[in-house]
Amino acid sequence: MKVGVRNIGHVAVVDLAGKITIGEGDVVLREKVNELFDSGQQNVLLNLEKVSYMDSAGIGELVACYKRAKEKGGSVKLLNPSGKVYDLLQLTKLEEVFETYKDEKEALVSY
Amino acid sequence: MVLSSEVRLIDLIHTAAEKVANLAGFDDDAALNIGIAVREGAINAIVHGNGQDSKLEVCVMLTADDEGFSAHITDEGAGFDPDATPDPTEGDGLLMASGRGLLLMRAFVDEVVYSRREKRGMEVTMTKRRTEETKE
Repeated sequence: MKVGVRNIGHVAVVDLAGKITIGEGDVVLREKVNELFDSGQQNVLLNLEKVSYMDSAGIGELVACYKRAKEKGGSVKLLNPSGKVYDLLQLTKLEEVFETYKDEKEALVSY
Repeated sequence: MVLSSEVRLIDLIHTAAEKVANLAGFDDDAALNIGIAVREGAINAIVHGNGQDSKLEVCVMLTADDEGFSAHITDEGAGFDPDATPDPTEGDGLLMASGRGLLLMRAFVDEVVYSRREKRGMEVTMTKRRTEETKE
């Protein structure tokens, strides 16, 4: 999985591309989000537009990121989950947990 | 196929399952769902069953026939009770870091049957039947 970060105002937009799966994407996601939290960033927006799918490990890592953000007084929100990723968020009922946006500007002003 | 219990081999199992699902007549979207279900069965076997002990084997049999697709996966681990796993879509379960594999399996194939093997380990059979909607 590929990952890039854009800092826009006080929000880190994490652009993810590929699949968030066990032993690969989940590790990349964990390391990048931990790096942001460790650097003092509290507001993270995960851009899932180019994520093709996730497995249970990837979904678990999303939840772990959400919980770590809460512990640090910050928040992790989701941007543009693709069809399959959105299906998985619905199936696991995590769409009720995460704030999810289709428009990046709208997401950015929500922090 | 008989594989050692390594996480890096899970993609191989997933890819094979998608290809066999295509051979069984499922379109790419349905085949991806089937691939994810088999991936979760493989994660259970390799990570939770065999504890990623590369000396322990995972056996995967994938079948395409007129009825549809089926997968049979066995491991050599201590086993678990699939009915005892907490619901990951309710209450505190929503924020669990793991425990969603069975949910995904049951969502993406028609039937998931877990049982204990005679000696040691678990076996799971997953079945996805063809319908007019899932045909190419």
